[in-house]
Amino acid sequence: MRLTVLLAVAALAAPAAALAQEAAPAACPATPAALPAGLEAWASPAPLAAATTAADAGKASLKIGQAFDAALPGTPAVTYALRPEKPGGSVSYGGIFAVDVTKPATYTIALSTGAWIDVVRDGKTLQSTAHGRGPACTTLRKMVAFPLEPGRYLIQIAANGEPKIGIMVAERP
Amino acid sequence: MRWAAPLIAAAAAVLCLAAAAPQPFDWRLPEGIAPPPVPADNPMSAAKVELGRRLFYDADLSVNGTMSCATCHEQRHAFTDTNQTRPGVHGDPGRRNIQALAGVGYYRTITWADPRAASLEQQMLIPILGLKPVEMGMAGQEAELARRLANDVCYRQMFAQAFPETGGQIDMVAVGKALAAFQRTLLAFDTPYDRGPAALPAAAQYGEALFRSARLNCSSCHAGPHFTDADRPGAYHRLPGAPAADPGLAEVTGRPEDQSRFRTPGLRNVAETGPYLHDGSARTLEAAIQAHYAANDPAAPTKAETADLVEFLKALTDKGFLADPRFALPQTACGRPL
Repeated sequence: MRLTVLLAVAALAAPAAALAQEAAPAACPATPAALPAGLEAWASPAPLAAATTAADAGKASLKIGQAFDAALPGTPAVTYALRPEKPGGSVSYGGIFAVDVTKPATYTIALSTGAWIDVVRDGKTLQSTAHGRGPACTTLRKMVAFPLEPGRYLIQIAANGEPKIGIMVAERP
Repeated sequence: MRWAAPLIAAAAAVLCLAAAAPQPFDWRLPEGIAPPPVPADNPMSAAKVELGRRLFYDADLSVNGTMSCATCHEQRHAFTDTNQTRPGVHGDPGRRNIQALAGVGYYRTITWADPRAASLEQQMLIPILGLKPVEMGMAGQEAELARRLANDVCYRQMFAQAFPETGGQIDMVAVGKALAAFQRTLLAFDTPYDRGPAALPAAAQYGEALFRSARLNCSSCHAGPHFTDADRPGAYHRLPGAPAADPGLAEVTGRPEDQSRFRTPGLRNVAETGPYLHDGSARTLEAAIQAHYAANDPAAPTKAETADLVEFLKALTDKGFLADPRFALPQTACGRPL
């Protein structure tokens, strides 16, 4: 098959008819939308640099209830404890954090992007119990819930499109 | 076998094509099932399928490395996901529900409502290069994609093995052929339904009878071994009870009679592929069934009949397919961990 034919077909995705069902960007109100309960600190992040190995994750510790504006290295520089279920490409960004849980509860991990989240303990990836998007017109993009027992966990971030990410771990009310 | 008779023509076509193949490909199909048709210029090979599988899971096929084919087509959900629609790499809202992939190699109508994407080799360009909406965002970045792949010594080996006729050239044509070859192997024929009526609970048997009844006649469109007429060109339909905001086929043809016409999704693994309809607006199988009927249509199935239909649809799940390691994220390539 000739490339020219393939590229012509790619134009299918841009149909000429002005009938495309495209959602116009909704205007955001002057007053920012309210953040979900428990995530009020999202608006006041502290800087942090993600680790590139599990051994160094303690240097990138996420305090529960505190938001962070985290720097991420390029994916090729990261050695994950477990291969992410959805690995990022060579041009993406990722990193590893640690979180210490003292109280058994369900926790929300909130991100400013749609990056992939793995929570790892004892060499296993934990299953999330819920996921959703943040409120419109906020920088909170993704929320995933994990029931966690006391102990240290690794939070692996993969397939992020830029070298920074907003991240927060909060107990679900 | 339930499906042997309808596939004679397809089998004949494949036999013709197979003559051009350098080596027979082991489809691992049950007896009586013909493999999907294969384009003469893209014969199947194990090396090509292996390459296609790696590419399918590689987020370097998106502009910022965040999205692979598998980002939306998740194996555990029969290669779709649980979202109504999904935004692209830049946050553009998705337009239509992600489609499942089991049996997609048999289809002649591959997208929801665009007959111009007539092959899997062509279809893959829509998510990778498409602009309305931008999904993977690689329009104008074809050379960059080739550069990324060629930067990996293992990929160079895999392309060379998969495409000896071009010396392993890495370009969009080869990427499309490899992805298509992998997708043709996504076959799900090990379901309770395939084991025969005795394998079905009574409710599912009632449901199948309703499904094929003259009154409901679901099988007129959800036909054949894949429960779709998408293996016939030009088969697009409008559902009386479905949302009509999307122009569907009319967007391409410009014909008013094609307004809100869409292809018929196959039903294998359908219980795992919700939400349903072209816009993902039906959260459950019951809601999807109801969308096939206008309000107060006396022919619509009753609540009890709908429940039986759902039991039948659940019997179309190939659980092995959802976890088959042949289709999963590869953990190694060229003998090394990824």
